[in-house]
Amino acid sequence: MTIFLSKLVQNNIKVFLVRNSDTQLFTVSYRNISILPNIYDGKEDPAPKFFSRNVQVLLKRLTRPDFAKVFRKRTSSGRDVLPTPIYKFLTNEALEAELAKANKKADRLLQMPPVVKIQQPINEILSEDPALIGYDTAKYLFTDITFGIANEHRLIVERDPDGTLRSCDHDVRKRLNQTYFPLNGRKLREPVMFTDEERFNTLLEQQEYEFVLDRACLQYEPDELTYQKITSITYQHIDMNKNFEKLRSTRHFGPMAFYITWHQNMDNLMLELLQSSAVREAVLLTALRHEIHGDVAEGDNAKILAHEILPTPIQLTKPDRLTEEDIQLDNKCVSCIEKYIVSNSMMKSQQELALQGFREYYQQLIELSRGLKKAHGTA
Amino acid sequence: MTMLSKLLSIRSIAAPINVFYKQINFPVNVIHNLTNFSTTSVKSVNFFNKLPAEKLWKSVTSVSNAGAKKGRGKGAGRIRIRDLNRGQVIGIGKINMLWPGLSAPVIRGRELLKQQRLPDDPERMEKLIKLRDSMTKFRRLRLSPIERGWSGARMPGRSIGPPDPIGEDEFTGFDTKVLQLRSLLIMKGNLGRTRNYQAMVVTGNGQGLAGFGLGRAKEASAALRKAKNRAGQKLMHFETYNGHTVFHDFYTAFGKTKIFVQKKNEGYGLKCHRAIKEICQAIGIKDLRAKLEGSNNLQHIVKAFFIGLLQQRTHQQLAEEKKLHLVEYKAENAYYPKVVASPSTVRTQDEILKDETLDFVQYVMNDRVILKKKRFPRFYETMPHYKIFLKKFERYRNHEKIRLMLKTEYGAVKSFLNDRYPEEKTESEA
Repeated sequence: MTIFLSKLVQNNIKVFLVRNSDTQLFTVSYRNISILPNIYDGKEDPAPKFFSRNVQVLLKRLTRPDFAKVFRKRTSSGRDVLPTPIYKFLTNEALEAELAKANKKADRLLQMPPVVKIQQPINEILSEDPALIGYDTAKYLFTDITFGIANEHRLIVERDPDGTLRSCDHDVRKRLNQTYFPLNGRKLREPVMFTDEERFNTLLEQQEYEFVLDRACLQYEPDELTYQKITSITYQHIDMNKNFEKLRSTRHFGPMAFYITWHQNMDNLMLELLQSSAVREAVLLTALRHEIHGDVAEGDNAKILAHEILPTPIQLTKPDRLTEEDIQLDNKCVSCIEKYIVSNSMMKSQQELALQGFREYYQQLIELSRGLKKAHGTA
Repeated sequence: MTMLSKLLSIRSIAAPINVFYKQINFPVNVIHNLTNFSTTSVKSVNFFNKLPAEKLWKSVTSVSNAGAKKGRGKGAGRIRIRDLNRGQVIGIGKINMLWPGLSAPVIRGRELLKQQRLPDDPERMEKLIKLRDSMTKFRRLRLSPIERGWSGARMPGRSIGPPDPIGEDEFTGFDTKVLQLRSLLIMKGNLGRTRNYQAMVVTGNGQGLAGFGLGRAKEASAALRKAKNRAGQKLMHFETYNGHTVFHDFYTAFGKTKIFVQKKNEGYGLKCHRAIKEICQAIGIKDLRAKLEGSNNLQHIVKAFFIGLLQQRTHQQLAEEKKLHLVEYKAENAYYPKVVASPSTVRTQDEILKDETLDFVQYVMNDRVILKKKRFPRFYETMPHYKIFLKKFERYRNHEKIRLMLKTEYGAVKSFLNDRYPEEKTESEA
């Protein structure tokens, strides 16, 4: 819990304080947010963990994709007049095929931006030719623009006035790649929303998280320092304000969940899940923590339970009927969460309270569905 | 023109002053030029001061009976009668005199006012001319642009309010639009040719309820009232798709009038005949395109469109007819297949006939196709100067975009070079 450092900010328009279970103090202000970015710059590389199949499956499930939101009407379509809808008469088989296609499209839309370690500076001297000293006062840059080479493997070198031939560093590589092979939407200069802190903070205050993260994905490479700083601040802002719902059904929820779990700060998300009665997802989150850190008490149990949960359909809304299997699974989930709260949680009292609330609500639901079954004579 | 200017200078007190001046000037002339003495008599009476203004004006403005029949004395060049006495006060004239007892009180305070000449008012005549001009100017339309119909002050396209209440039932939220108001001439045995008015109106509440009515009467207003109340009696309810358009494209006809209606997405607007537009607004349809073919008889258009709307089928009906799922793809939703209607039993691929119409638009249009006219190049596009223009313009095609980009980046149309070469900046500013 050392992510957020307290820092008093002068000239705040409005200041509110958030007290955590630890005696840590967060100071947040409109327009002037003092969140310190916490980036993946430690010794351990997050990439192998992030890309491992188990983690990917958990993150995708935690995203809880709602197709109404994934395929929602977007303002960035670039159309001035919406085209007329197309209608088709389809048989059952054709409809299933179309839905399968749409699922694939959704997978593509929800593809998570990679989480990797920060890039190392390139400092490779290829040759030193003292004979060229004083040949020119300018630096020469050479780019191999052969078609079909990936940008990261492209040969880009510079000849300095002192005759040294060296590989270019990342910033120069990025600029030259963008010059010769422009990425649609990426700017040569950083957009003001990222360079001007006040504007960036305004966007966060307006909860335009998806916009910020989408644009960051477009403008920066995932291993760039700036990208990681921006995403880190955004994730922390979401976490502090519990705006997780804003990122659900988007491709950024997975990296966000991974980030907060990696930095051992997923208790806010856990609390939100318990308060919204999503115990199954809470178990998945525990399993995720165990996959990453392996420090959860009876974590293997959570992993086994996660395998049971994954084949069940995603619960977009609270269920109104329960089958006996559902009840069994949910009871297992509750006991798993209980153990997590006792041994690992940082917000024990609040989470216990939320879990207790869920238990009471669930008991009512069980009675209702059993009563209904009896009334219908299907029990 | 000369006559007009003379007319303008006529004033009730003008004559005595002129006489007064002549009397003064006459002896002076005589002293210096006795040889110029004339024996011809000078008449101080002419038709300007002999005839009343009314007769004078009539002589200028009147048009003969034959001329009036041809339409003379109407329109832009028409001379209008002006009241030249307007804006004039007895006692105040070209020469600004103070007349105690006429244009001023006799005693002001303790002082007895004397007759005296005041400084001239140079703006007096201008004001008078302005006032006179205002009498002749064309009278503006008194309708506000919102009240105006399709054209000028004419009735078609204008709103005439909701139909009259029947007993205690009021037509709240309804509005009636005039679609047609025309005079019909009919021959009668004893009266000869008589004039009747016929009106066609559409009334609706903008929420699905609408109806049209036809009324005939001796007076235009009566015809409108009859049509309006009849429309109120013939209301029909129309379902709309998501409250903004029709359910599907359709073809409809009445007599020789054919209408091809197309369903459109939100924000498209109403692109159709003005009568169809008024009907759509009365119903509450916001987006639609209609193409008219054949006769453009207005009454037929209205009837054909209403018939077409009534013959629409809902998505559920279409799905049941075809026994297939009806799936909607919207571009704004990344073409996600949304099932809008499912039949009770779905046919399989084998049950679909070989030559069955499966295309949705073709099916709802009853295999009719809208004629798409070939687009001819604009008259200038074939000319040589247009090619020259295109060549010249090519280098500027992205400038607008770049200007915008520079403004967002630097706050003005400048680049990094401005900072590097500040002397250039001052030159361009100077």
